Amino acid sequence: METKSIKLEHVKKNYRDEEVFQDLNLFIPGGKFFAILGPSGSGKTTLLRLIAGFEKPDTGRIYLGNQDITDLSIFERRVNTVFQNYALFPHLNVFENVAYALTIRNVPKDEIADRVAQALKMVHLEKLMYRPINQLSGGQQQRIALARAVINRPDVLLLDEPLAALDLKLRERMLIELIELQDALGSTFVYITHDQSEALTVSDSMAIMNSEGEIAQVGTPKSIYEFPASSFVAKFVGTTNMFKGTLRVDENGERIVIDTLGDFAVVAPKDKSWVYDKAPALMSLRPEKIEISKQPIEGFANHIAGTVKNIVYQGSSTRYLIEAGDYVIHVFEQNEEHFPTEVIDYDDTVNLYWQKENVVILER
Amino acid sequence: MNVRSFFSAYGLRMWVSAFFLFLYIPIVVLVIFSFNESPTLYQWGGFSTHWYAELFQSAEVWQALRNSLYVASFATFLSVTMSLLLVYFGSNLRRFFPLFYGSLVIPEVVLAVGLLGFFSLFTVMLGFSTLIVGHTLLGLGYAVPIVSSRYDELEKHLTEASLDLGASYVQTFFRIILPLLVPALVAAAILVFVISLDDFMIAFFCAGGTTQTLPLYIFSVVRAGGSPMLNALSTVLLCFGSMLIMLIAALRMRKIFMFGS
Amino acid sequence: MNNKSVRTQFAKQFSFFMAIPAFVWVFICFYIPLLTIIARSLLTRSPGEIIPHFTPDYYAQLFELKYFHVIWRSLLLAFGTSVSCLLIGYPVAYFLARKARSAKNILLFFLMLPFAVNLLVQAYAWFFVLGKSGLINQALMMLGLISDPLNILNTPVAVYIGMIYCYVPFMIMPLYAVLEKLDQRFVEASFDLGADWFKTMWRVVLPLSMPGIVTGFFLVFIPVFGEFVIPNLLGGNKQMFVGSLISFYFLITRNLAVGSAFTCLSGIIVLTAAVFTYWRLKKLWA
Repeated sequence: METKSIKLEHVKKNYRDEEVFQDLNLFIPGGKFFAILGPSGSGKTTLLRLIAGFEKPDTGRIYLGNQDITDLSIFERRVNTVFQNYALFPHLNVFENVAYALTIRNVPKDEIADRVAQALKMVHLEKLMYRPINQLSGGQQQRIALARAVINRPDVLLLDEPLAALDLKLRERMLIELIELQDALGSTFVYITHDQSEALTVSDSMAIMNSEGEIAQVGTPKSIYEFPASSFVAKFVGTTNMFKGTLRVDENGERIVIDTLGDFAVVAPKDKSWVYDKAPALMSLRPEKIEISKQPIEGFANHIAGTVKNIVYQGSSTRYLIEAGDYVIHVFEQNEEHFPTEVIDYDDTVNLYWQKENVVILER
Repeated sequence: MNVRSFFSAYGLRMWVSAFFLFLYIPIVVLVIFSFNESPTLYQWGGFSTHWYAELFQSAEVWQALRNSLYVASFATFLSVTMSLLLVYFGSNLRRFFPLFYGSLVIPEVVLAVGLLGFFSLFTVMLGFSTLIVGHTLLGLGYAVPIVSSRYDELEKHLTEASLDLGASYVQTFFRIILPLLVPALVAAAILVFVISLDDFMIAFFCAGGTTQTLPLYIFSVVRAGGSPMLNALSTVLLCFGSMLIMLIAALRMRKIFMFGS
Repeated sequence: MNNKSVRTQFAKQFSFFMAIPAFVWVFICFYIPLLTIIARSLLTRSPGEIIPHFTPDYYAQLFELKYFHVIWRSLLLAFGTSVSCLLIGYPVAYFLARKARSAKNILLFFLMLPFAVNLLVQAYAWFFVLGKSGLINQALMMLGLISDPLNILNTPVAVYIGMIYCYVPFMIMPLYAVLEKLDQRFVEASFDLGADWFKTMWRVVLPLSMPGIVTGFFLVFIPVFGEFVIPNLLGGNKQMFVGSLISFYFLITRNLAVGSAFTCLSGIIVLTAAVFTYWRLKKLWA
């Protein structure tokens, strides 16, 4: 497993006079599905190209397992890529495209035929074996590109926003198929995307990059979502309510004082240098962690009252925008009942409740 | 209908018809007179094909044709090969490609005398080699944009995909790039070949006294007043020209030959 | 570094050198010769001197009226031909691009055919139409309009006609390319907003076909300026044009220095004229 891990150490890269990475360090565990999430321009494609070998780092090393691959050329690395626009060879048909990696290595013909059939079966397209490329739909092309990249069982498979050109339903289906494929192959999958729901769905662990080419956080989807390390991560992955305030720390615990709203009980990380009495801090509170009700409810550590400004009905859930103090707070409620006991309407006064453990205190 | 709507309905058609008439009357007369029995120009003496027989027996014509083909083949091979290498290996130098279009922008006579002056400066003997040099230069100006624009059409990541799957640069070139560039290479080759065959200006200045190409031969005959054999030759060239155009049309390469904006 | 990556490093350098021949060729065969022309026009070497020195003498020799006549004549011819080709060719291009349906391919074939034949053959063909016993004269005599054959060949008129004949395809092709791509919806929008045919042509179609007009103009203007074959064959070499004068200097009198100076001068003039025309065309319709 460890032979398929990727490590980037102190990588510096300038691309066309722009500094993409200043000092990048990243470890991608072998044999797992790893996602790299970030906004456009964050350098995630450049990162992919560094791993594949299309670009060389200005300084720093790249390792595949224990092997230093920094100076290896593209075709020497056991890393294959699925391109965003698939880059299927237009003059070759499906069979020839998928067989390409084997043909150039002079693998014997019957072995090629077997392995191509296997690869096509993995992506459920064995019927299209001799079709010319221009007759394939987007989804089919995508899967052929996949088959072509995995036929040689590479240690690492890089996917550059592979589902960007597909419609929603197809995308959802492909995500599941990708997970199954990774499971069957055992290769390390590195999946680049700007779509956070994709990243959360497929990955065993993920990294978030910000627009400066820095890695903001690495972790499992759950740890990133529930315990973001910065407000950038908190806002980029999912929606959150961000409040600015001052910490009060004493022997009774931690509280945060937020202007125009009041003070609230929180749980702050214990051993951080920026956590002290009267320190400035941010509080992140996810919309689904808030209970909304017109009637008062017991048992919650925190409470504000507010006015309903907007209601967005989304079928299985409803989102409310509540005005309180200087803030507009997002609240997410599941529509659990056909006939709700309580109807919340525009301009109603409502009560918002949450527990102190369900917030995240952030430095910035 | 009144005059105005008559014009707008048929005016365009009349104009185009008149135009094609203008285009073809000289040619038709030329062809007709190639079958003229009488050796004097313009005087119709009767139908005969003996000028064609004379044409095929003329050693001078065959020699000129041979020379032209020889030069054209070399020039085509050199310019197409060089532009292929240039476009594939020098793709990161493409901002310098406009340097090649200079030979198209200046009047050909300037190009020709430039070459002549250059050759005389280094006392190079005028002959086949100087002709080939000049025609290759002309050819580059046409081949480079054709091959380079076709190369640009190719999906950017095809080379990378091939390398990524384990092919070397050489394998990538022969298996992926070359097959996809072939239409452009063929189009460029045909264009350069024809341009070289038809070129008069550079041949006039740079061929020296001993080498005669077909256009030079034609020029000398026309200067002398023309001859029915020349009509025959012209008709033959016309036939080849039409075959060439049909070839191009069959290969669907019309787009490449239309000078875009 | 292992053996393999040394090889790939070599491959990278090697690949760079593969691209060089084309550049080398164009520098040696195009830019250096151009420089030699310029150099020859400005430098001279007195006997005994090794390094040539700069002299304006050759250009001074050109400042005689007869040279300006030649240049002016060529400019007029080039300009006249270009404008005529534009006027004659635009409707044809328009028809081919937008109006001809089933006949389009055949017409294009016939359009390209004369072009596929040599320039010289094209000029020669006009002998039979313009000559003393040519088509025009015979027709006019048969109709009784004239009694003596007209002398059309070996006059500037013949040169003018020949130029248009040979160069009009160069004007039509870029026009065709641009007009073919012209979105019909622009024309429809113009009609919809109340403009008639003439206004639509003038305000929508012509401006949008400007790139084609400009390309076509230059494809005709610059070559015609330097032409000497057609003036030679159809004009009987009676009048000197720029091309004929240059060939006279280089091939007959072998006065390379003055010839180079004249070439440079004409080159500058034609480029200036071209740029000027481009600027004016842009102002008219852009």
